[in-house]
Amino acid sequence: MPKPPNRPALATALRLGAYLAFAAILLVFALAAPGFLTLGNWLNVLQQSAILGLLAFGLTIVVIGGGGNVVTGGIDLSVAANLGLAAAVYASLVKHGYPDALAAAATLSAGLAVGALNAVAVTALGIVPLLATLAVAKIVSGLEFVLTQNSVVTATSPFLAWLSDNGPLAVPVMAYVLVLVTLIAWPAVQATPWGLRLQAVGAHREAARAAGLPVKTYVAGSYLVSGVFGALAGILSAAYLTGSSPGSADILLSVVVAALLGVVFSPRLTPSIGGAASAVLFIGLLNNGFQLVNISSYWVSGVEGALILFVVACTPSQREAMS
Amino acid sequence: MSAYARFGLPVALLALVVLFSLTSPTFLTAANLRSLALNHFAILALASLAMTLVVTSGGIDLSVGTAIDMAALAYIVILQQGGAPPLAILGALGGAALVGLFNAGLIGGLGLPPFLATLGTLFIGQSVQQLATNGGVPIYLISGAPRPIFAAVDAARLWLVAFAILGVAALLAASLFGRRLVAAGVGPAVAYYSGVPVRRDLGAVMILAALIAGVAGIVLSSSVRSYAPLSGNGYLMDAIGATFLGTTFSPWGRANVAGTLLGVLLLSVVKNGLLLIGVSFYWSQVAGGAVILSVLAVSFLNRREA
Repeated sequence: MPKPPNRPALATALRLGAYLAFAAILLVFALAAPGFLTLGNWLNVLQQSAILGLLAFGLTIVVIGGGGNVVTGGIDLSVAANLGLAAAVYASLVKHGYPDALAAAATLSAGLAVGALNAVAVTALGIVPLLATLAVAKIVSGLEFVLTQNSVVTATSPFLAWLSDNGPLAVPVMAYVLVLVTLIAWPAVQATPWGLRLQAVGAHREAARAAGLPVKTYVAGSYLVSGVFGALAGILSAAYLTGSSPGSADILLSVVVAALLGVVFSPRLTPSIGGAASAVLFIGLLNNGFQLVNISSYWVSGVEGALILFVVACTPSQREAMS
Repeated sequence: MSAYARFGLPVALLALVVLFSLTSPTFLTAANLRSLALNHFAILALASLAMTLVVTSGGIDLSVGTAIDMAALAYIVILQQGGAPPLAILGALGGAALVGLFNAGLIGGLGLPPFLATLGTLFIGQSVQQLATNGGVPIYLISGAPRPIFAAVDAARLWLVAFAILGVAALLAASLFGRRLVAAGVGPAVAYYSGVPVRRDLGAVMILAALIAGVAGIVLSSSVRSYAPLSGNGYLMDAIGATFLGTTFSPWGRANVAGTLLGVLLLSVVKNGLLLIGVSFYWSQVAGGAVILSVLAVSFLNRREA
């Protein structure tokens, strides 16, 4: 199909449009819900967005390294299953009396193992990421079932209690975690040699290879990072839910939406950590606002869906890049 | 891709059938094969045929479960309100067609990428179903007067599947529309400059796929005599898996009906066989994923690197 003409001015206008839509929705909620604009409420939103945020960062890094094409480029459909397994591992170990340090180490190892399996499937075996991570997701969610027998595992520990509580200045610890991880991941991707090379690998694989970059190593690394983010999100989830419960797979599509919406919030309409963070905040505020103005939560996914369509329809470069 | 890598999928299927026949006395019985065909194979085959059409055209349909659900919703609600069975079937196909039309408008009309367009449709469909059922309360039709329509659909479902298989295969292999779809999938720009109405065809294929998914919705809700919100989404990942497993069977790595059916059979046999030989339900998920990963590995290892 003929490509739409490249009009940077239009793209800028539309990106500003996305920010304006963001601002307009905030304004509506601020006027309609008295408690919306309070600091406490926003901290609340940050806390509730931490899990989605970590997963979205992991997926974003995979998309950056793999390129934007959804089928043949980078995608990690195992993030949600990884979250479920990680929460189950952590909760089970704590429940059986193991200390937090051991549970955390085991959970991170599990996440790393999931990432390694994805990395091997994609880089060594050469399986298309969409399929490789889909199959790995099946295996991983099966392992979660085996571990928990598809039931709720309740777990409490000092560390989990600390995570789900308020930290210094009465700010929820998970809000700190989200901000901290954002502040580490953002420069790591945008400013370090590793991050810039990863972007080069994703943007133009052949050029990166010709320039001497070990392309496969970078792609494999992106899946390992995503695996670790999944494990971290799992620990947060174990704290948030005081244990693990089945059904973590439901978050997958929200993670995909956050990562894709993140593209629109990025300066050059490419996947980025800052963009993903904005998108996660946006989705969190949207959910929160709906609750505050007492609109049924049944509307939320529909509004999110309409929003994706609106945003994608308004972003010409998105149309070619993401097809 | 080397010539024998194509046969990874059928060989794996054959090996699993032999393995399960040897290890489980019940696997090769008529009763089990019947249950396998009716319960595991039929609905997934329909959903995967819809997916195969869309993937052939170069797209993907994440809303295939949404079309299944909207058809099931319309079907059960019309029957519940005392509507005649033919009306319920028409209504079901209409509900699915709505999903297809919406996708067609987004992809064919606005030119949105299929992955994102159908992802949006999936989310909107979730809201619609939650709002229609007060958050996801199933609608049961088990009690009350006997409903011959359910038994009739149950009896006809393998014929419906066979009809869909032949229809999609004939469409892709022998019709002008089918050849244009393949062309659009292989090289959209070349197809466009060769005079293929790519946008219009991509829109049309979304409607056709939704209608096939709608048939799956009728079969599903007839067999369980109820509508459970969002249950169609359970077929999404398996339909994608079966279709793309099937691409390994094509010499060009393209979606194809025979490969898709082999993929559906593989997924169904794994699910059914592992349970029969006494693997716990939970481990069978792990084993199923491992089998799929192995088949993909064999097929992709021999492909030229992208």
